[in-house]
Amino acid sequence: MDGLKLLLPEFGLSLMALGLMVCDLFFDRRAGKALLALGFVAAGVALGSLGLAYNAPEAYSGLGTLWAVDPMSLFFKAVILATTTFVLMLSIDYKPAAELRHPGSFTALVLFSAVGMMLLVSATDLLLIFLSLELVSICSFILVGFERRDLKSSEGAIKYFLFGSFSSAIFIYGISFLYGALGSTSLLDLRPLLGEGPALMFMVGCILLLVGFGFKVSMVPFHFWVPDAYEGAPIPVTTFLSIAPKAAALGVMVRVFNHLIPHSQLELTGLFSLLAVLTMTVGNLTALFQTNIKRLLAYSSIAQAGYMLIGFVTADAMGREGLILYTFVYVFMNLGAFAVALTLGNEEGYELEAFDGLSQRNLGLALLMTFFMLSLAGIPPLAGFIAKFTLFAAAVKTGHVWLAVAAVLNSVISVYYYMSVVYHMFFKQARTHEPAPTRLFVTGTLAVAAVGVLFIGLYPEPFLAVAHLSAEFLPSAAALP
Amino acid sequence: MGILSLTTFIPLLGALIVLLIPKGQVKLIRGAAVLTTLAALAASLCALNAFDPGTIAMDGLPMQFMEKYDWIPTFNIHYQMGADGLSLPLIVLTTFLCFLAAVYSTSITERVKEFFFWYLLLEVGMLGVFCALDMFLFYMFWELTLVPMYFLIGVWGGPKKEFAAIKFFLFTLFGSVFMLLGILALYFQSNPHTFDMLELMKATGGFSREFQIIVFMAFYLGLAVKVPAFPFHTWLPLAHVEAPTPVSVILAGILLKMGVYGLLRISYSILPAGYEWFLPYLIVIAFINIVYGALCAMAQTDMKKMVAYSSVNHMGYCLLGMAAVSSTGFNGAVLQMINHGIITAALFFLVGVIYDRAHTRDITAFGGLGARVPVYAGLMAMTCFASLGLPGLAGFISEFLCFLGAFPAWKLYTVLSVSGILVTAAFFLRMLQKVFLGPFNEKWKDLPDMNLRELVAVAPLAGLMLLFGIWPRLVLDIMNPTLTVMAKMFPGMFAIVR
Repeated sequence: MDGLKLLLPEFGLSLMALGLMVCDLFFDRRAGKALLALGFVAAGVALGSLGLAYNAPEAYSGLGTLWAVDPMSLFFKAVILATTTFVLMLSIDYKPAAELRHPGSFTALVLFSAVGMMLLVSATDLLLIFLSLELVSICSFILVGFERRDLKSSEGAIKYFLFGSFSSAIFIYGISFLYGALGSTSLLDLRPLLGEGPALMFMVGCILLLVGFGFKVSMVPFHFWVPDAYEGAPIPVTTFLSIAPKAAALGVMVRVFNHLIPHSQLELTGLFSLLAVLTMTVGNLTALFQTNIKRLLAYSSIAQAGYMLIGFVTADAMGREGLILYTFVYVFMNLGAFAVALTLGNEEGYELEAFDGLSQRNLGLALLMTFFMLSLAGIPPLAGFIAKFTLFAAAVKTGHVWLAVAAVLNSVISVYYYMSVVYHMFFKQARTHEPAPTRLFVTGTLAVAAVGVLFIGLYPEPFLAVAHLSAEFLPSAAALP
Repeated sequence: MGILSLTTFIPLLGALIVLLIPKGQVKLIRGAAVLTTLAALAASLCALNAFDPGTIAMDGLPMQFMEKYDWIPTFNIHYQMGADGLSLPLIVLTTFLCFLAAVYSTSITERVKEFFFWYLLLEVGMLGVFCALDMFLFYMFWELTLVPMYFLIGVWGGPKKEFAAIKFFLFTLFGSVFMLLGILALYFQSNPHTFDMLELMKATGGFSREFQIIVFMAFYLGLAVKVPAFPFHTWLPLAHVEAPTPVSVILAGILLKMGVYGLLRISYSILPAGYEWFLPYLIVIAFINIVYGALCAMAQTDMKKMVAYSSVNHMGYCLLGMAAVSSTGFNGAVLQMINHGIITAALFFLVGVIYDRAHTRDITAFGGLGARVPVYAGLMAMTCFASLGLPGLAGFISEFLCFLGAFPAWKLYTVLSVSGILVTAAFFLRMLQKVFLGPFNEKWKDLPDMNLRELVAVAPLAGLMLLFGIWPRLVLDIMNPTLTVMAKMFPGMFAIVR
C-alpha cells in the first residue's frame, strides 16, 4: 500500500464520522447542534489541511496503488470540503434544535459522502471508482430520505435509489467489459490498449462507464431522478447534492476520459459534445416551467452541468481550467441561491410565491439573490460570466463553434427563468411586511457567497492562476505509457 | 485615475451612496442622485474642455485621455479607456441627458431608493460602453446596461411592464451573446491574442474576407438589436411605451446610440471587409427603417408609441449616413445621433408631461390645447419641427448631411428614402393639429401648464436644438477630424461607394 499518507484527510474525516455516529447514541436533541458544529469544524480543518498542499505540493501529492493525489484532485477535494463545510453550517440554521432528528447520523452521513467523493476524484482504478461511487450514493439515498415522515422526501429517496442502483449495475457491467478486454481494473494499464485502435468490447465498456458518471453529474438522459430527489430532500441536502457529487463526478470523468483514456482517441468527442448540448438544453427548457424554487434550481443545476461539460469536451488546457473555474464559481452561486431559499423556506415554503415582494421586506437579501441568479445566468460583471467566458473561449479556440453557439443560446433561455425569481422578488407585492428572518450561519454563508460572486467576477486573475495550477494530473501525460 | 474613469464611476459611487441612505429619506436620495449626475456631467464637460479635436496621430485613430492597466493578464485583457471625436460627444450627451432625466425623475414617489440605484448603475454602463477601448471591457459595460433597464421598465413602467422588461432583456441578450462569440473569434484570430480594439484595428489586414464577414454578422446581431435596425426593432415600441418617462428618454436618447456607435467603432474599423460586403444590405435596411418606421408612426394614435416609431425612422438616417462611408456621411450619422438624442429626449419628456396631467396619450382625446397651455404647446411644436427636419433647427442639419453623403453612392435608395421625411412631417403635423389646434375640448379646461421641474428638463434641450440648428459647427468641429480620418482609413476598399 504505497502513498497511504496521501489519504490522511479522508481517514481523519472517516474517523470523525464514526465518532459522531457513536455520539448520536448518547446525546439528546439539545446537543444536536453541537454535533453539527463538530462536523462542520472537522470538514473545515480537513479543508485547511488541503490548503497546506498549495504551499508544498510535492509533500502532498503523489501516486498511490489505486489513487493519485495531484493538483487536479486536490482542487476537487477542496471544493467538496468547502461545500461540506458550508452545508453543515446551513444545517445548523435549518431547523430549531427541538425538531432535529439524529443530528449525529446526519453529520456522519454527510461526512462519509464527502469522503467517498474525495476518494472518487483521486481514483485511478475502476474498483476504487466503483466503491467510492457506491459510498457516495448510499449516503445520499439516506440523506434524501432523511425527513422520514415527509412523503415527498421518501418518494425522492426511492426514485433516487432505483435510478442509482440501476446505474451502478450498468457501471459495474461496464467494468466487467473492460476487465474482459484487458485483464486489469487499473486505468493506467488500460491505456496501452488504445494504441491498437478502440476495440468493440473496450468501447462498450467505456460507454457503460459513462452511464455511471452521467448519473452523478445529472447528464441528460440520466437526469430523471434529479428534480424529485432535490425537491424531496431537506434543503441543506439539496444544496449538498447540487454541488458536491456533481463536482466529484466531473473530476473523475475528466481524469478518466480526458487524461487516462482521452475521448478524442476513442472517437467519442462527438457523442460527448452532443450530450453536453442535450444536457444544457433539456435542463434549461424544463426549468422554464418550474414554480418551485427547489425544482427550478434542480433543472438549473442540470443545465449548469451541461456548460461544465464543455470544458470536458474540448479537453485542452483552457477547457480544463474553465471547468475548474466554473466548478469553483458554481459553489458560490449555488450555495448563495440555496441559502436564500432556506432563509425563506421554513416560514414560506419553497414555491416561487415565497419570494413575492422580498425587495420590500429585505432589499439586501433580494439584491443578493438577484446577484446569484444573474451570476448563474452568466451576466457580467459577476463570477458566472467569467467562468462561462473561459469555457466558451475554450470551445471557440478548439473549433467547437456549434457547441459555443448552443451554449450562448442556452444562456439566453436561462435568463428567463432566473429572472422569474427576480420578478417575484421585485415586481410582485409582498404578502407580509415582516422583515425576512436573518440567522447567523445563513448570513455568514451568504456573505461568503456574495463576496465570491462579486470579487471573482471583477478580478478573476488570481482564480485563473489557481485554475491554471490545478489543471495538472499525475501521472503526467508524458509519463503515461 | 483619468477623467474618463472618473466620469464613468462617479455614478457608481452615487449608486452605492443611494443604497446606504435609509429608504425613508426620499428627499436626500433624490438630492444625492441629482447631484451625482450633475457631477458626472461636470466631469465630462471638463473632458470636453480639455479635448483637442485637432490631434491626429499618424498611425490610426487618435485617442485622448488614454488609460491602460493590466486587468486579467491570463487573457491579455486590459482596463483600457480612451475617447476621440466619435465617442466624446456621445459621452457628454449621456451625462447631459442623465442629468436632465434625473431632475425629471424627482417626481417618482414609489420605491425611490431602488429607482435611483438602478438609474445610476445604468449610467455607469452607458458611459463605460462609450469609453471602453478593450473588447472585454466594452462587453462588460454593454451587458451592465441590461439589468438596470430591466428593473427600471419592470417596476416603474406601464400596464404591460413585466412583459416589456423581459422582452427587452431577452432580445438584447440574444443579440449580444453572438457579439461575445465574435469577440472571442477576433481574440483567437489575432496574433498575439488581444482584446485591445486599437491593436485589432491595426491587425485587421491579417483577417481573411470570409472570417471578417462571419464575425461581422455576429457583431451585427448584437448591434442591430440595439440600433434597432429592421427586423430587430420589435422590442422598441413596447419597451419605450411601457417604460416610465425618464427611462424612455434614456432608452431613446442614449441606449440606441450604443448600437450605431458599435457599428462605427468595431464593425467598420475592425472588420472593413465585412462592412463592405454588408453595405448593399445596410442601405436597404436604412431605407426600410426610414420609410417603414415613419409609416408605423403615422398609424399610431398613442403619442408615445408614435415617438417610439419615429426613433426607428430617425435611426434609419444614421444608417443611411453610415452606408455612405464618406466623411460627410459619417459626420451626418454621428451628428444625427446627437441631435436625435436631444430631440427625442425632449419629445419623450413632453409626452410624459401631458400623460402625467391627463393620464392619456391618445392623440384624438385632446384638441385646442394651444390656448390653454401655451408654453407646453410652443415647446412641443418646436421639438416636433426639429424632429421633422425644419431648417434652422438641429434635425435638419444632420439629416441633410446623411442624405448628402449617401446620394453619390446610393442614388436610388437615397431618393426613395426622402419620402420618409414627408411621412415624418405628416405624422408630426397631424399630431400637432389634433392636440393643439381645432375646437377646445372642455374636458381639459383645468389642465395646468408646465411646472419648473419639467421646464428645467426640457428648456435646455430646446435651446440646444436651436443652437445646433444655427451653428452646428459647435459639434461638428469636435468630431469632424476623427470621422474624416476614419472615412479614409481603408483607401483600397469600398470601391462600391467610391
